[in-house]
Amino acid sequence: MRVTFHGVRGSIPAPGPETNRYGGNTSCVSVRGAGGELVILDMGTGLVGLGKELMAQEFGRGAGAATVLLSHAHWDHIQGFPFFAPAFVPGNSFRVHGMARSSSLLEGILEGQMNPSYSPISSLRNLGATIELVAVTTGMPFDLGGGISVCAALNPHGSTAALAFRIEQAGRSVVYAPDVGYPDGGPSAEVLALYRGADLLIHDCTYTPADRAERRTRGYSSYADAADAAARAGVAQLAMFHYDQDYGDDVVDELARACRAELDHRGATACTLTAAREGMTLEV
Amino acid sequence: MKVRFWGVRGSIPVPGPRTNRYGGNTSCVAVRSPGGTDVVLDAGTGLRKLGQELMQRGFGEGKGEAHLLISHTHWDHIQGLPFFAPLHKAGNQFCVYARERAGTPLRSVIATQYDDPYFAVPFDAVKADVDFRELGDGARFELGDVRVSSARLNHPWIATAYRLDSGPASSPASMVYATDTAPFRDILFGEAVAAPPASGAALPAVDVARLGELRASLIDLCRGAQVLVHDAQFTDAEYRERPHWGHSTPDDAIDIALAAGVKTLVLFHHAPERGDDELDLVLAAARARAAGSGLEVLAAHEGLEFDLAERA
Ligand SMILES: [Zn+2]
Ligand SMILES: [Zn+2]
Ligand SMILES: [Zn+2]
Repeated sequence: MRVTFHGVRGSIPAPGPETNRYGGNTSCVSVRGAGGELVILDMGTGLVGLGKELMAQEFGRGAGAATVLLSHAHWDHIQGFPFFAPAFVPGNSFRVHGMARSSSLLEGILEGQMNPSYSPISSLRNLGATIELVAVTTGMPFDLGGGISVCAALNPHGSTAALAFRIEQAGRSVVYAPDVGYPDGGPSAEVLALYRGADLLIHDCTYTPADRAERRTRGYSSYADAADAAARAGVAQLAMFHYDQDYGDDVVDELARACRAELDHRGATACTLTAAREGMTLEV
Repeated sequence: MKVRFWGVRGSIPVPGPRTNRYGGNTSCVAVRSPGGTDVVLDAGTGLRKLGQELMQRGFGEGKGEAHLLISHTHWDHIQGLPFFAPLHKAGNQFCVYARERAGTPLRSVIATQYDDPYFAVPFDAVKADVDFRELGDGARFELGDVRVSSARLNHPWIATAYRLDSGPASSPASMVYATDTAPFRDILFGEAVAAPPASGAALPAVDVARLGELRASLIDLCRGAQVLVHDAQFTDAEYRERPHWGHSTPDDAIDIALAAGVKTLVLFHHAPERGDDELDLVLAAARARAAGSGLEVLAAHEGLEFDLAERA
Protein backbone atom coordinates (compact mmCIF):
# COMPACT_ATOMS: atom_id res chain seq x y z
CA MET A 1 0.00 0.00 0.00
CA ARG A 2 1.16 3.53 -0.77
CA VAL A 3 0.11 6.13 1.80
CA THR A 4 0.17 9.84 0.85
CA PHE A 5 -0.57 12.79 3.14
CA HIS A 6 -2.57 15.64 1.59
CA GLY A 7 -3.51 17.50 4.77
CA VAL A 8 -1.99 17.00 8.24
CA ARG A 9 -3.49 19.87 10.24
CA GLY A 10 -6.28 19.77 12.83
CA SER A 11 -9.26 22.06 13.54
CA ILE A 12 -8.85 24.74 10.85
CA PRO A 13 -6.55 25.31 7.87
CA ALA A 14 -3.49 27.34 8.84
CA PRO A 15 -2.10 29.23 5.83
CA GLY A 16 1.11 31.24 6.12
CA PRO A 17 4.87 30.93 5.73
CA GLU A 18 5.16 29.39 9.21
CA THR A 19 3.39 26.21 8.02
CA ASN A 20 5.05 25.84 4.60
CA ARG A 21 7.11 22.76 5.42
CA TYR A 22 4.51 20.54 7.13
CA GLY A 23 1.55 22.15 5.40
CA GLY A 24 -1.55 24.00 6.57
CA ASN A 25 -4.34 21.89 5.06
CA THR A 26 -6.71 19.93 7.26
CA SER A 27 -6.88 16.14 7.46
CA CYS A 28 -6.78 14.03 4.32
CA VAL A 29 -4.70 10.91 3.57
CA SER A 30 -4.91 8.62 0.56
CA VAL A 31 -4.06 4.92 0.47
CA ARG A 32 -3.38 3.22 -2.88
CA GLY A 33 -3.72 -0.54 -2.82
CA ALA A 34 -1.44 -2.89 -4.74
CA GLY A 35 -4.10 -3.19 -7.46
CA GLY A 36 -4.62 0.58 -7.74
CA GLU A 37 -7.60 0.63 -5.35
CA LEU A 38 -8.08 4.08 -3.82
CA VAL A 39 -9.06 4.67 -0.20
CA ILE A 40 -9.39 8.27 1.02
CA LEU A 41 -9.12 8.91 4.76
CA ASP A 42 -11.11 12.03 5.71
CA MET A 43 -12.01 15.02 3.58
CA GLY A 44 -10.32 18.08 5.09
CA THR A 45 -8.97 20.79 2.77
CA GLY A 46 -6.16 18.43 1.74
CA LEU A 47 -8.81 16.69 -0.37
CA VAL A 48 -8.84 19.61 -2.82
CA GLY A 49 -5.26 18.98 -3.94
CA LEU A 50 -5.85 15.23 -4.10
CA GLY A 51 -8.90 15.91 -6.27
CA LYS A 52 -6.81 17.92 -8.74
CA GLU A 53 -4.31 15.04 -9.05
CA LEU A 54 -7.11 12.53 -9.54
CA MET A 55 -8.64 14.59 -12.36
CA ALA A 56 -5.56 13.81 -14.46
CA GLN A 57 -6.44 10.12 -14.18
CA GLU A 58 -9.63 8.08 -14.70
CA PHE A 59 -11.59 10.44 -12.44
CA GLY A 60 -11.23 13.16 -15.09
CA ARG A 61 -13.10 10.92 -17.54
CA GLY A 62 -15.82 9.90 -15.11
CA ALA A 63 -14.43 6.41 -14.76
CA GLY A 64 -13.06 6.60 -11.23
CA ALA A 65 -14.18 4.86 -8.06
CA ALA A 66 -12.93 5.31 -4.51
CA THR A 67 -13.80 4.50 -0.93
CA VAL A 68 -13.88 7.31 1.63
CA LEU A 69 -13.42 6.44 5.30
CA LEU A 70 -14.69 9.29 7.44
CA SER A 71 -13.43 9.34 11.04
CA HIS A 72 -16.14 11.83 12.10
CA ALA A 73 -17.83 14.91 10.70
CA HIS A 74 -16.03 17.77 12.46
CA TRP A 75 -15.36 20.51 9.89
CA ASP A 76 -11.65 19.80 9.53
CA HIS A 77 -12.56 16.30 8.30
CA ILE A 78 -15.23 17.24 5.74
CA GLN A 79 -14.60 20.83 4.63
CA GLY A 80 -12.78 19.84 1.45
CA PHE A 81 -15.72 17.85 0.10
CA PRO A 82 -17.57 20.71 -1.70
CA PHE A 83 -14.31 21.51 -3.53
CA PHE A 84 -13.40 17.95 -4.54
CA ALA A 85 -13.41 18.14 -8.35
CA PRO A 86 -13.98 14.37 -9.02
CA ALA A 87 -17.30 14.55 -7.13
CA PHE A 88 -18.65 16.80 -9.89
CA VAL A 89 -17.88 14.40 -12.75
CA PRO A 90 -20.78 12.11 -13.72
CA GLY A 91 -19.68 8.49 -13.87
CA ASN A 92 -17.35 8.64 -10.88
CA SER A 93 -18.52 6.82 -7.79
CA PHE A 94 -17.67 7.21 -4.13
CA ARG A 95 -18.71 5.08 -1.24
CA VAL A 96 -18.40 7.00 2.03
CA HIS A 97 -18.21 4.98 5.24
CA GLY A 98 -18.76 7.13 8.31
CA MET A 99 -19.87 7.40 11.88
CA ALA A 100 -23.66 7.67 12.20
CA ARG A 101 -26.48 5.54 13.51
CA SER A 102 -27.76 4.97 9.99
CA SER A 103 -26.74 5.69 6.41
CA SER A 104 -29.58 8.21 6.04
CA LEU A 105 -28.33 10.11 9.10
CA LEU A 106 -24.85 10.13 7.55
CA GLU A 107 -26.38 11.46 4.34
CA GLY A 108 -28.13 14.16 6.36
CA ILE A 109 -24.81 15.27 7.85
CA LEU A 110 -23.18 15.76 4.43
CA GLU A 111 -26.41 17.20 3.01
CA GLY A 112 -26.33 19.80 5.80
CA GLN A 113 -22.89 20.91 4.65
CA MET A 114 -24.25 21.60 1.15
CA ASN A 115 -27.37 23.42 2.40
CA PRO A 116 -27.99 26.59 0.32
CA SER A 117 -27.39 28.81 3.37
CA TYR A 118 -23.78 27.63 3.32
CA SER A 119 -22.94 26.40 -0.16
CA PRO A 120 -24.02 27.16 -3.71
CA ILE A 121 -24.05 23.39 -4.32
CA SER A 122 -27.30 23.26 -2.30
CA SER A 123 -27.59 19.48 -2.23
CA LEU A 124 -25.58 16.28 -2.64
CA ARG A 125 -27.92 15.61 -5.56
CA ASN A 126 -26.20 18.37 -7.51
CA LEU A 127 -22.89 16.55 -7.43
CA GLY A 128 -22.46 14.69 -10.70
CA ALA A 129 -20.80 11.61 -9.22
CA THR A 130 -22.63 8.79 -7.47
CA ILE A 131 -22.21 9.12 -3.71
CA GLU A 132 -23.21 6.16 -1.59
CA LEU A 133 -23.29 6.47 2.18
CA VAL A 134 -22.70 3.66 4.63
CA ALA A 135 -22.90 3.83 8.41
CA VAL A 136 -19.96 1.95 9.92
CA THR A 137 -20.49 -0.80 12.47
CA THR A 138 -17.43 -0.94 14.72
CA GLY A 139 -15.71 -4.27 15.16
CA MET A 140 -17.25 -5.67 11.97
CA PRO A 141 -14.63 -5.94 9.20
CA PHE A 142 -15.81 -5.09 5.70
CA ASP A 143 -14.26 -5.73 2.29
CA LEU A 144 -13.46 -3.06 -0.28
CA GLY A 145 -12.52 -5.50 -3.04
CA GLY A 146 -8.98 -6.10 -4.28
CA GLY A 147 -8.29 -8.02 -1.10
CA ILE A 148 -8.58 -4.91 1.05
CA SER A 149 -10.38 -5.27 4.34
CA VAL A 150 -11.25 -2.52 6.79
CA CYS A 151 -12.13 -2.64 10.46
CA ALA A 152 -13.17 0.29 12.65
CA ALA A 153 -13.16 1.02 16.37
CA LEU A 154 -14.51 3.97 18.32
CA ASN A 155 -12.17 6.40 20.09
CA PRO A 156 -13.25 9.02 22.66
CA HIS A 157 -12.92 12.56 21.25
CA GLY A 158 -13.94 15.27 23.70
CA SER A 159 -17.71 15.47 23.95
CA THR A 160 -18.06 13.03 21.05
CA ALA A 161 -16.22 10.11 19.44
CA ALA A 162 -14.24 9.45 16.29
CA LEU A 163 -13.59 6.28 14.35
CA ALA A 164 -10.16 4.75 13.94
CA PHE A 165 -9.71 2.51 10.89
CA ARG A 166 -7.40 -0.43 10.19
CA ILE A 167 -6.85 -1.14 6.50
CA GLU A 168 -5.27 -4.46 5.51
CA GLN A 169 -4.11 -5.83 2.21
CA ALA A 170 -1.90 -8.86 1.58
CA GLY A 171 -0.79 -9.05 5.20
CA ARG A 172 0.14 -5.35 5.39
CA SER A 173 -1.71 -2.94 7.66
CA VAL A 174 -2.23 0.80 7.99
CA VAL A 175 -4.12 2.24 10.96
CA TYR A 176 -5.60 5.75 10.88
CA ALA A 177 -6.43 7.21 14.30
CA PRO A 178 -6.98 10.98 14.17
CA ASP A 179 -8.75 13.01 16.88
CA VAL A 180 -8.53 10.99 20.07
CA GLY A 181 -8.33 12.01 23.70
CA TYR A 182 -7.77 8.86 25.75
CA PRO A 183 -8.88 8.62 29.35
CA ASP A 184 -6.16 8.22 32.00
CA GLY A 185 -5.78 4.50 31.31
CA GLY A 186 -4.93 5.07 27.63
CA PRO A 187 -6.56 3.32 24.66
CA SER A 188 -9.31 0.75 25.25
CA ALA A 189 -8.55 -2.95 24.74
CA GLU A 190 -10.63 -2.89 21.57
CA VAL A 191 -8.69 0.06 20.17
CA LEU A 192 -5.32 -1.45 21.16
CA ALA A 193 -6.35 -4.60 19.31
CA LEU A 194 -7.10 -2.49 16.24
CA TYR A 195 -3.64 -0.83 16.42
CA ARG A 196 -1.78 -4.05 17.34
CA GLY A 197 1.32 -4.73 15.25
CA ALA A 198 0.35 -2.30 12.48
CA ASP A 199 2.99 -1.60 9.85
CA LEU A 200 1.99 2.07 10.05
CA LEU A 201 -0.04 3.88 12.72
CA ILE A 202 -1.14 7.41 11.73
CA HIS A 203 -2.01 8.94 15.09
CA ASP A 204 -3.39 12.20 16.42
CA CYS A 205 -0.55 14.37 17.68
CA THR A 206 -2.30 17.69 18.15
CA TYR A 207 -0.51 18.95 21.26
CA THR A 208 2.49 19.12 23.51
CA PRO A 209 1.71 17.42 26.85
CA ALA A 210 1.47 20.87 28.50
CA ASP A 211 -1.09 22.17 25.98
CA ARG A 212 -2.98 18.90 26.18
CA ALA A 213 -3.20 19.20 29.99
CA GLU A 214 -4.60 22.72 29.63
CA ARG A 215 -7.12 21.74 26.93
CA ARG A 216 -8.01 18.26 28.08
CA THR A 217 -11.74 18.52 27.35
CA ARG A 218 -11.07 19.09 23.65
CA GLY A 219 -10.26 15.41 23.24
CA TYR A 220 -6.92 15.38 21.43
CA SER A 221 -3.62 13.58 21.97
CA SER A 222 -0.19 14.88 22.80
CA TYR A 223 2.92 13.36 21.23
CA ALA A 224 3.36 11.45 24.50
CA ASP A 225 -0.10 9.89 24.12
CA ALA A 226 0.74 8.96 20.52
CA ALA A 227 4.08 7.41 21.54
CA ASP A 228 2.40 5.53 24.37
CA ALA A 229 -0.27 4.05 22.06
CA ALA A 230 2.37 3.10 19.46
CA ALA A 231 4.59 1.46 22.04
CA ARG A 232 1.78 -0.48 23.70
CA ALA A 233 0.43 -1.71 20.36
CA GLY A 234 3.89 -2.66 19.08
CA VAL A 235 3.52 -0.89 15.74
CA ALA A 236 6.43 -0.79 13.28
CA GLN A 237 6.04 2.86 12.34
CA LEU A 238 4.28 5.85 13.89
CA ALA A 239 3.25 8.87 11.81
CA MET A 240 2.47 12.00 13.83
CA PHE A 241 -0.62 13.77 12.44
CA HIS A 242 -3.29 16.48 13.03
CA TYR A 243 -1.06 19.25 14.41
CA ASP A 244 -2.58 22.22 16.21
CA GLN A 245 -3.29 25.17 13.89
CA ASP A 246 -1.09 27.49 15.96
CA TYR A 247 2.03 25.30 15.79
CA GLY A 248 4.51 26.52 13.19
CA ASP A 249 7.00 24.21 11.47
CA ASP A 250 9.67 24.72 14.11
CA VAL A 251 7.27 23.64 16.84
CA VAL A 252 6.40 20.48 14.89
CA ASP A 253 10.16 19.75 14.53
CA GLU A 254 10.33 19.99 18.32
CA LEU A 255 7.31 17.68 18.75
CA ALA A 256 9.02 15.08 16.56
CA ARG A 257 12.23 15.18 18.62
CA ALA A 258 10.28 14.90 21.84
CA CYS A 259 8.10 12.10 20.48
CA ARG A 260 11.21 10.10 19.52
CA ALA A 261 12.43 10.42 23.10
CA GLU A 262 9.03 9.27 24.41
CA LEU A 263 9.13 6.18 22.18
CA ASP A 264 12.67 5.31 23.30
CA HIS A 265 11.74 5.91 26.92
CA ARG A 266 8.97 3.32 26.51
CA GLY A 267 11.33 0.80 24.97
CA ALA A 268 9.93 1.22 21.44
CA THR A 269 13.37 1.92 19.98
CA ALA A 270 12.57 -0.22 16.91
CA CYS A 271 9.51 1.87 16.07
CA THR A 272 10.20 4.21 13.15
CA LEU A 273 8.90 7.75 13.71
CA THR A 274 7.71 10.11 10.99
CA ALA A 275 6.18 13.56 11.35
CA ALA A 276 3.59 13.59 8.56
CA ARG A 277 3.78 16.47 6.13
CA GLU A 278 1.82 17.39 3.04
CA GLY A 279 3.02 15.58 -0.06
CA MET A 280 4.87 12.86 1.87
CA THR A 281 4.40 9.28 0.65
CA LEU A 282 5.13 6.18 2.75
CA GLU A 283 5.34 2.70 1.22
CA VAL A 284 3.86 0.05 3.48
CA MET B 1 -11.23 54.71 9.82
CA LYS B 2 -8.43 52.18 9.96
CA VAL B 3 -8.79 49.13 7.75
CA ARG B 4 -6.85 45.86 7.91
CA PHE B 5 -7.21 42.74 5.76
CA TRP B 6 -7.04 39.40 7.60
CA GLY B 7 -8.35 37.08 4.86
CA VAL B 8 -8.57 37.86 1.14
CA ARG B 9 -9.43 34.49 -0.43
CA GLY B 10 -12.67 33.16 -1.83
CA SER B 11 -14.20 29.67 -1.65
CA ILE B 12 -11.73 27.79 0.57
CA PRO B 13 -8.54 28.51 2.51
CA VAL B 14 -5.37 27.71 0.55
CA PRO B 15 -2.27 27.13 2.68
CA GLY B 16 1.10 26.63 1.02
CA PRO B 17 4.12 28.48 -0.31
CA ARG B 18 2.24 29.70 -3.41
CA THR B 19 0.04 31.94 -1.25
CA ASN B 20 2.60 33.27 1.22
CA ARG B 21 2.52 36.85 -0.05
CA TYR B 22 -1.20 37.48 -0.62
CA GLY B 23 -2.31 34.99 2.04
CA GLY B 24 -4.48 31.90 2.02
CA ASN B 25 -7.20 32.75 4.54
CA THR B 26 -10.81 33.30 3.52
CA SER B 27 -12.60 36.66 3.70
CA CYS B 28 -12.22 38.88 6.76
CA VAL B 29 -11.58 42.64 6.98
CA ALA B 30 -11.40 44.65 10.22
CA VAL B 31 -12.37 48.33 10.43
CA ARG B 32 -11.88 50.63 13.42
CA SER B 33 -13.51 54.04 13.44
CA PRO B 34 -12.00 57.22 14.90
CA GLY B 35 -14.50 56.86 17.77
CA GLY B 36 -13.25 53.32 18.50
CA THR B 37 -16.12 51.36 16.95
CA ASP B 38 -14.91 47.91 15.83
CA VAL B 39 -16.55 46.59 12.68
CA VAL B 40 -15.61 43.23 11.17
CA LEU B 41 -16.58 42.47 7.57
CA ASP B 42 -17.10 38.73 7.14
CA ALA B 43 -15.85 35.89 9.30
CA GLY B 44 -13.75 33.62 7.06
CA THR B 45 -10.64 31.92 8.45
CA GLY B 46 -8.85 35.29 8.63
CA LEU B 47 -11.03 35.93 11.69
CA ARG B 48 -8.93 33.49 13.76
CA LYS B 49 -5.82 35.69 13.56
CA LEU B 50 -7.86 38.87 14.07
CA GLY B 51 -9.25 37.24 17.22
CA GLN B 52 -5.73 36.62 18.52
CA GLU B 53 -4.96 40.32 18.04
CA LEU B 54 -8.19 41.48 19.68
CA MET B 55 -7.41 39.31 22.71
CA GLN B 56 -4.38 41.56 23.28
CA ARG B 57 -6.81 44.49 23.64
CA GLY B 58 -9.97 44.84 25.76
CA PHE B 59 -11.38 41.60 24.35
CA GLY B 60 -8.84 39.62 26.39
CA GLU B 61 -10.39 41.05 29.57
CA GLY B 62 -13.96 40.54 28.40
CA LYS B 63 -14.44 44.26 27.75
CA GLY B 64 -14.62 44.24 23.97
CA GLU B 65 -17.47 45.14 21.69
CA ALA B 66 -17.62 44.53 17.94
CA HIS B 67 -20.10 44.40 15.10
CA LEU B 68 -19.85 41.62 12.52
CA LEU B 69 -21.32 42.47 9.13
CA ILE B 70 -21.73 39.29 7.13
CA SER B 71 -22.02 39.54 3.32
CA HIS B 72 -23.76 36.14 3.23
CA THR B 73 -23.40 32.85 5.06
CA HIS B 74 -21.48 30.75 2.51
CA TRP B 75 -18.74 28.85 4.36
CA ASP B 76 -15.86 31.06 3.25
CA HIS B 77 -17.57 33.99 5.00
CA ILE B 78 -18.40 32.38 8.36
CA GLN B 79 -16.00 29.45 8.87
CA GLY B 80 -13.65 31.40 11.15
CA LEU B 81 -16.31 32.07 13.81
CA PRO B 82 -15.83 28.87 15.87
CA PHE B 83 -12.12 29.76 16.15
CA PHE B 84 -12.63 33.41 17.13
CA ALA B 85 -11.16 33.52 20.64
CA PRO B 86 -13.02 36.68 21.85
CA LEU B 87 -16.33 34.80 21.48
CA HIS B 88 -15.23 32.42 24.20
CA LYS B 89 -14.54 35.20 26.73
CA ALA B 90 -17.40 36.24 29.00
CA GLY B 91 -18.24 39.94 28.97
CA ASN B 92 -17.43 40.59 25.31
CA GLN B 93 -20.33 41.82 23.23
CA PHE B 94 -20.97 41.05 19.61
CA CYS B 95 -23.72 41.71 17.17
CA VAL B 96 -23.92 39.75 13.93
CA TYR B 97 -25.70 41.32 10.96
CA ALA B 98 -26.80 39.62 7.77
CA ARG B 99 -29.63 39.65 5.27
CA GLU B 100 -32.94 38.26 6.53
CA ARG B 101 -34.13 34.98 5.02
CA ALA B 102 -37.67 33.70 5.07
CA GLY B 103 -37.82 30.63 7.30
CA THR B 104 -34.15 30.54 8.33
CA PRO B 105 -33.32 32.66 11.39
CA LEU B 106 -29.77 34.03 11.23
CA ARG B 107 -29.01 32.75 14.72
CA SER B 108 -29.77 29.16 13.75
CA VAL B 109 -27.75 29.44 10.51
CA ILE B 110 -24.73 30.52 12.58
CA ALA B 111 -25.42 28.13 15.48
CA THR B 112 -25.70 25.09 13.21
CA GLN B 113 -22.02 25.54 12.37
CA TYR B 114 -21.25 24.73 16.02
CA ASP B 115 -23.67 21.83 16.33
CA ASP B 116 -22.83 18.20 16.79
CA PRO B 117 -21.55 16.47 14.65
CA TYR B 118 -19.78 19.41 12.94
CA PHE B 119 -18.05 21.05 15.91
CA ALA B 120 -17.22 20.26 19.51
CA VAL B 121 -18.60 23.31 21.34
CA PRO B 122 -22.30 24.12 20.89
CA PHE B 123 -23.15 27.75 20.19
CA ASP B 124 -25.09 27.91 23.46
CA ALA B 125 -21.79 27.41 25.28
CA VAL B 126 -20.25 30.54 23.73
CA LYS B 127 -19.46 32.83 26.68
CA ALA B 128 -19.67 36.26 25.06
CA ASP B 129 -22.97 38.07 24.51
CA VAL B 130 -24.00 37.58 20.89
CA ASP B 131 -26.93 39.37 19.31
CA PHE B 132 -28.28 38.90 15.80
CA ARG B 133 -29.86 41.49 13.51
CA GLU B 134 -31.48 40.51 10.25
CA LEU B 135 -31.41 43.17 7.55
CA GLY B 136 -33.78 43.98 4.72
CA ASP B 137 -32.32 44.83 1.31
CA GLY B 138 -30.93 48.37 1.35
CA ALA B 139 -30.88 48.58 5.17
CA ARG B 140 -29.23 51.64 6.76
CA PHE B 141 -28.26 51.93 10.43
CA GLU B 142 -25.66 53.39 12.76
CA LEU B 143 -23.01 51.64 14.81
CA GLY B 144 -21.55 54.22 17.19
CA ASP B 145 -19.87 56.81 14.96
CA VAL B 146 -20.13 54.58 11.87
CA ARG B 147 -23.03 54.97 9.44
CA VAL B 148 -23.80 51.74 7.59
CA SER B 149 -25.72 51.47 4.33
CA SER B 150 -26.15 48.42 2.16
CA ALA B 151 -27.17 47.08 -1.24
CA ARG B 152 -28.13 43.71 -2.62
CA LEU B 153 -25.52 41.88 -4.70
CA ASN B 154 -25.91 39.39 -7.54
CA HIS B 155 -24.80 36.05 -6.07
CA PRO B 156 -26.34 32.60 -5.49
CA TRP B 157 -28.46 32.84 -2.30
CA ILE B 158 -27.89 36.66 -2.49
CA ALA B 159 -25.10 38.59 -0.79
CA THR B 160 -25.04 42.09 0.72
CA ALA B 161 -22.61 44.96 0.09
CA TYR B 162 -21.92 47.32 2.99
CA ARG B 163 -20.79 50.94 2.97
CA LEU B 164 -19.21 52.40 6.09
CA ASP B 165 -19.06 56.18 6.60
CA SER B 166 -17.58 57.98 9.56
CA GLY B 167 -15.82 61.13 10.61
CA PRO B 168 -16.84 64.78 10.51
CA ALA B 169 -18.05 66.45 7.31
CA SER B 170 -14.66 68.19 7.08
CA SER B 171 -12.79 64.87 6.73
CA PRO B 172 -15.28 62.12 5.88
CA ALA B 173 -14.06 58.53 5.60
CA SER B 174 -15.92 56.06 3.44
CA MET B 175 -15.43 52.53 2.25
CA VAL B 176 -17.57 49.95 0.48
CA TYR B 177 -17.19 46.17 0.89
CA ALA B 178 -18.82 44.40 -2.07
CA THR B 179 -18.26 40.66 -2.22
CA ASP B 180 -19.51 38.15 -3.53
CA THR B 181 -21.13 39.30 -6.75
CA ALA B 182 -21.40 38.47 -10.41
CA PRO B 183 -21.57 41.33 -12.89
CA PHE B 184 -25.11 42.44 -13.63
CA ARG B 185 -25.58 41.02 -17.11
CA ASP B 186 -25.88 37.25 -17.67
CA ILE B 187 -27.86 35.84 -14.74
CA LEU B 188 -30.14 37.27 -12.10
CA PHE B 189 -29.38 35.33 -8.93
CA GLY B 190 -31.91 34.72 -6.21
CA GLU B 191 -32.32 32.15 -3.47
CA ALA B 192 -32.86 29.28 -5.92
CA VAL B 193 -30.06 27.04 -7.19
CA ALA B 194 -28.24 28.78 -10.01
CA ALA B 195 -27.93 26.94 -13.32
CA PRO B 196 -25.70 28.15 -16.13
CA PRO B 197 -27.62 30.37 -18.55
CA ALA B 198 -28.80 28.59 -21.70
CA SER B 199 -26.27 29.39 -24.38
CA GLY B 200 -27.48 31.93 -26.89
CA ALA B 201 -30.80 32.44 -25.08
CA ALA B 202 -31.65 36.04 -24.30
CA LEU B 203 -32.40 36.95 -20.67
CA PRO B 204 -36.06 37.66 -19.94
CA ALA B 205 -36.77 41.40 -20.06
CA VAL B 206 -37.79 41.46 -16.37
CA ASP B 207 -34.42 40.00 -15.39
CA VAL B 208 -32.58 42.55 -17.53
CA ALA B 209 -34.51 45.35 -15.86
CA ARG B 210 -33.90 43.98 -12.35
CA LEU B 211 -30.18 43.54 -13.04
CA GLY B 212 -30.08 47.17 -14.20
CA GLU B 213 -31.67 48.26 -10.92
CA LEU B 214 -29.24 46.18 -8.85
CA ARG B 215 -26.25 47.58 -10.69
CA ALA B 216 -27.55 51.13 -10.24
CA SER B 217 -28.10 50.57 -6.52
CA LEU B 218 -24.56 49.23 -6.06
CA ILE B 219 -23.15 52.23 -7.95
CA ASP B 220 -25.25 54.53 -5.77
CA LEU B 221 -23.88 52.80 -2.67
CA CYS B 222 -20.30 53.27 -3.92
CA ARG B 223 -20.79 56.86 -5.11
CA GLY B 224 -17.77 58.96 -4.12
CA ALA B 225 -16.38 56.36 -1.70
CA GLN B 226 -12.66 56.57 -0.99
CA VAL B 227 -12.19 52.83 -1.19
CA LEU B 228 -14.15 50.03 -2.84
CA VAL B 229 -13.26 46.45 -1.89
CA HIS B 230 -14.77 44.33 -4.66
CA ASP B 231 -14.98 40.66 -5.67
CA ALA B 232 -12.44 40.01 -8.45
CA GLN B 233 -12.20 36.22 -8.29
CA PHE B 234 -12.40 35.36 -11.98
CA THR B 235 -10.33 35.84 -15.08
CA ASP B 236 -12.39 36.56 -18.22
CA ALA B 237 -12.05 32.93 -19.35
CA GLU B 238 -13.12 31.58 -15.96
CA TYR B 239 -16.14 33.87 -15.93
CA ARG B 240 -17.23 32.65 -19.36
CA GLU B 241 -17.00 29.05 -18.10
CA ARG B 242 -18.75 29.62 -14.76
CA PRO B 243 -21.07 32.63 -14.97
CA HIS B 244 -23.43 30.82 -12.58
CA TRP B 245 -20.90 30.83 -9.71
CA GLY B 246 -21.65 34.47 -8.96
CA HIS B 247 -18.25 36.18 -9.11
CA SER B 248 -16.74 39.12 -11.00
CA THR B 249 -13.56 39.81 -12.93
CA PRO B 250 -11.24 42.75 -12.19
CA ASP B 251 -12.70 44.52 -15.25
CA ASP B 252 -16.21 44.25 -13.77
CA ALA B 253 -14.90 45.73 -10.52
CA ILE B 254 -13.18 48.58 -12.40
CA ASP B 255 -16.42 49.34 -14.26
CA ILE B 256 -18.32 49.75 -10.99
CA ALA B 257 -15.51 51.80 -9.41
CA LEU B 258 -15.32 54.19 -12.40
CA ALA B 259 -19.10 54.55 -12.67
CA ALA B 260 -19.25 55.48 -8.97
CA GLY B 261 -16.24 57.82 -8.96
CA VAL B 262 -14.37 55.77 -6.37
CA LYS B 263 -10.76 56.76 -5.62
CA THR B 264 -9.23 53.39 -4.83
CA LEU B 265 -10.32 49.90 -5.86
CA VAL B 266 -9.10 46.90 -3.85
CA LEU B 267 -9.37 43.60 -5.74
CA PHE B 268 -10.62 40.98 -3.27
CA HIS B 269 -11.87 37.38 -2.86
CA HIS B 270 -9.01 35.93 -4.89
CA ALA B 271 -9.51 32.53 -6.50
CA PRO B 272 -8.10 29.72 -4.36
CA GLU B 273 -6.05 28.34 -7.26
CA ARG B 274 -4.34 31.69 -8.01
CA GLY B 275 -0.73 31.75 -6.75
CA ASP B 276 1.11 34.92 -5.71
CA ASP B 277 2.88 35.38 -9.06
CA GLU B 278 -0.38 35.00 -10.96
CA LEU B 279 -2.04 37.57 -8.68
CA ASP B 280 0.81 39.99 -9.45
CA LEU B 281 -0.14 39.62 -13.13
CA VAL B 282 -3.86 40.09 -12.41
CA LEU B 283 -3.03 43.30 -10.55
CA ALA B 284 -0.71 44.58 -13.29
CA ALA B 285 -3.37 43.95 -15.94
CA ALA B 286 -6.04 45.70 -13.88
CA ARG B 287 -3.76 48.70 -13.34
CA ALA B 288 -3.09 48.89 -17.06
CA ARG B 289 -6.81 48.80 -17.72
CA ALA B 290 -7.46 51.61 -15.23
CA ALA B 291 -4.47 53.71 -16.36
CA GLY B 292 -5.35 57.31 -17.12
CA SER B 293 -8.72 57.09 -15.35
CA GLY B 294 -7.36 58.36 -12.03
CA LEU B 295 -8.50 55.17 -10.31
CA GLU B 296 -5.88 53.59 -8.04
CA VAL B 297 -6.01 49.77 -8.06
CA LEU B 298 -4.67 47.54 -5.27
CA ALA B 299 -4.89 43.79 -4.74
CA ALA B 300 -5.85 42.84 -1.19
CA HIS B 301 -3.29 40.83 0.74
CA GLU B 302 -3.25 39.66 4.33
CA GLY B 303 -1.81 42.43 6.45
CA LEU B 304 -2.72 45.23 3.99
CA GLU B 305 -3.56 48.17 6.19
CA PHE B 306 -4.55 51.77 5.59
CA ASP B 307 -6.08 54.73 7.37
CA LEU B 308 -8.84 56.34 5.34
CA ALA B 309 -8.03 59.68 7.00
CA GLU B 310 -4.70 59.61 5.18
CA ARG B 311 -6.40 58.87 1.85
CA ALA B 312 -8.87 61.80 1.92
ZN1 LIG C 1 -9.86 17.01 13.64
ZN1 LIG D 1 -17.15 33.84 -1.04
ZN1 LIG E 1 -20.58 33.00 -1.83
